[in-house]
Amino acid sequence: MNASAAAPISHEARVATILRPILERPSRFYMVVLAIAAGGLLWWAYAWSFQLRNGLIVTGIADWGTAGGVPWGFYVGSFIWWVGIAHGGIIVSAAVRLFNLTAFKPVARMAELLTLVALSIAALYIVIHLGRPDRVFSSVLPALPTTIRTSPLAWDVTVITLYFVLTATYLGLTLRSDLYALQNRLPKALAPVYKLLLIGYRPEDKHKLERMAWWLALAVIVLAPLFLHGGVIPWLFATMPGQPGWFGGAQGPQFLTIALSSALGSVIVMAYVFRKAYSWQEIIPDEVFAGLSRWLALFALLFLWMQLQQNLTGSVAAPSAVADLTSAKMEEPLYWLSLGLVGLALAYLAVQMIFPRYFNVERTVAAALLPVAATLLEKTLFVIEGLMHPVFRLYEGVPGHYTPSWVEISSAVGAFSILLLFFLLVSRIVPLIEVEVSEE
Amino acid sequence: MNGNRDAADSRKRELDPFDAAWEAEARRTLQPTGFDVDLGVRAARDALRVTAGELSEAEFHKRYHSEYLQAFEMDARPLLSDEVDGADSIGPTEGGGPAGSEEQPALMSRRTAMKLAGAGAAALFLGQLLSGLVPSATADEGGHQEGGHAASGSGATKAKAKNQEMQMGMVIDIEKCDGCLFCVNACKSAYTLADGVHWIYVFAYAEPDAPEEVNLLPRLCNHCSNAPCVKVCPVAARHKREDGLVLTDYDTCIGCRYCQVACPYGVNYFQWGEPTRYGGGYTGERRDARGRSVVGDPPRGVMGKCTFCPLRQDSQDEHGTTNCALACPHGVLHYGDLNDPESEPNQYLARRRQENGGRLETFRLLEDMGTKPNVIYIGSPPSREAYEVEGPVRYEDWGLVKQRRAVLEGPEPWFRRLIGGN
Repeated sequence: MNASAAAPISHEARVATILRPILERPSRFYMVVLAIAAGGLLWWAYAWSFQLRNGLIVTGIADWGTAGGVPWGFYVGSFIWWVGIAHGGIIVSAAVRLFNLTAFKPVARMAELLTLVALSIAALYIVIHLGRPDRVFSSVLPALPTTIRTSPLAWDVTVITLYFVLTATYLGLTLRSDLYALQNRLPKALAPVYKLLLIGYRPEDKHKLERMAWWLALAVIVLAPLFLHGGVIPWLFATMPGQPGWFGGAQGPQFLTIALSSALGSVIVMAYVFRKAYSWQEIIPDEVFAGLSRWLALFALLFLWMQLQQNLTGSVAAPSAVADLTSAKMEEPLYWLSLGLVGLALAYLAVQMIFPRYFNVERTVAAALLPVAATLLEKTLFVIEGLMHPVFRLYEGVPGHYTPSWVEISSAVGAFSILLLFFLLVSRIVPLIEVEVSEE
Repeated sequence: MNGNRDAADSRKRELDPFDAAWEAEARRTLQPTGFDVDLGVRAARDALRVTAGELSEAEFHKRYHSEYLQAFEMDARPLLSDEVDGADSIGPTEGGGPAGSEEQPALMSRRTAMKLAGAGAAALFLGQLLSGLVPSATADEGGHQEGGHAASGSGATKAKAKNQEMQMGMVIDIEKCDGCLFCVNACKSAYTLADGVHWIYVFAYAEPDAPEEVNLLPRLCNHCSNAPCVKVCPVAARHKREDGLVLTDYDTCIGCRYCQVACPYGVNYFQWGEPTRYGGGYTGERRDARGRSVVGDPPRGVMGKCTFCPLRQDSQDEHGTTNCALACPHGVLHYGDLNDPESEPNQYLARRRQENGGRLETFRLLEDMGTKPNVIYIGSPPSREAYEVEGPVRYEDWGLVKQRRAVLEGPEPWFRRLIGGN
């Protein structure tokens, strides 16, 4: 696999480098970050318990209509955002296997792990958004055969579960063969964990497993755009005719562009963090960042293009409800901030593409962060703006208002802490980069 | 109906259904439609007999029931909806429906007859005329007959939906509303609604071209026949009861608020906190006759909205009443089974139409959303430019909170109290 390696290193050296996080003693920096993440999670646990004790009244959300509130807010915005990252992450990974994008192979497993944790966080966001989270199983499951016919939310629950299983299986297939190959070099202290992860593994099935992984990758590539982030997630909103900000067929493609922008941005940032932390310059060379950032630029462009489609059709000769919504969006500075951030990233990445001599990893990572932040902002705005400008105009007398409360903001702290904790722990147990790569 | 104005003008030119000229004309009109001409002529003739009191409505219904289903269910529908629905859904509408028999001969004026004598159209027209008697599978698909929208989507076959399913609904005469808010208060006290929760809410609004004039419009749940809230509920807590009431099962609801988001009318009110802390806390009977927990201000964490008083509907004595309608001193709210031509709201509609010389402007809220709402307003609908103004009686005068968000303030956490709170 020399496509990804600028300066080829020996297989043995590569494996040693990849295993560094597992075998080396944790640095002081590691421990500090671990403590911060644990603290963040605890803080959010407190915030959520506060919400559980007092009800959703401790959030900034309220009824729309006469109450002058917005019933879905930061939680739902965050849910879409995390699901988007999850979907984008696994698309990156599946594309490596399916389209032979070998240059991205070093980040494939990270993207898969990101998908798993981001999906879990998204599911958690659904739960904390509920008024009665204790009923999530007792109410949803018995009704599913009926509700699956008409409720986009029932579709969501089903598809996210399916997706989790797909991703976990996919990750498991490649991870297990790595763990088997490295068995003797992994820390003895964790032997029971590896034993558990390797249950039923038979090395002679290797070829079969490769094929399975390929089919799973195909399933992901087909399912994700059609039914996941280009499908059921946007359909939650696109099927609501009372909210002109949501209704319509543009949401599918738009959600997909947003998901891929945020996911590619996240993968770039994450790859950089690990490369920096474990001096993985040889294993995650500059080319990976250059390649990923080109795709990021493409999806950032598509993101802006989809926004243009909607704003244009909403401004020229739109039905009055759509026109109202569009003009309200045009007057929202935060909306322009989110578009501006994506535009800025796109501009920088375009320049870097045209003049490769300006390429710089740090700047690329900085540019990648912009769409990540911008999409969270855009998703939250999308959710609340739809609800603030309904078709039923008489409510204009009590226009919707929404500001996330400290409890909701704390959920973001908690979610990022979960992400950090997950990677801090997982990186010390399993190799974050496919070792098999280097055998070719 | 577009033809009603002409109908009223030409009361004198009534047609004699037994006249050969009438039949010839009817046949000529029916011919190009491609429908069963004989059936159309017979039905139209008998319809006139009904209006003249020579034939009972039940007999009429029986006579044509199966033939109508056979003849029109497949082919006639598009024509039907063009003819009738189009006129109906563009806003201010003439109620057809359970019209008083007095104006029905007038309705069959020459022009109206010409226009509607097409067999398919006649089916629908008569459906409007005799609300609920003509199979609602035809009427429902074809357009808005005045009356309840037959429930759809619940797996009920057309055959099942065709008969007069009960659909409780309301006729609201906004021309008589003076904005006293008796209804709002009655609902709040009956169900101990938390502050700012208005299962029934009275809009006071003005139009740009008459800013001084205050118009009133009570808004409650429309108990839609094609309710989006029922469709989107991921746990089937939001459901439609057999009598057409749209209710929330408080024992099942997970509080995701998708129903609230999907409803275009904004009638849902969530229980964000402990209701007792916010002026709520219903302690009465929660369960309806089916044993499902659907009554009163909901417990914390689940969704509530206007229920059309299910316990009243379950009882013998109070069936067909709601707290708001009983409280209204001006006869604005008329509650009952919209599919029953004899019900109070339908009779009220007929009476009002009669008082009004056979013409009555009615509308339903956001009809083009396809929700099939079951609240019919008498009067002119608000324009898109209408805006809310101060009503004659303020919510505060009743000790009510108008805008709920103002009172949705959660308790303060320790660190907030530490720095002096918000």
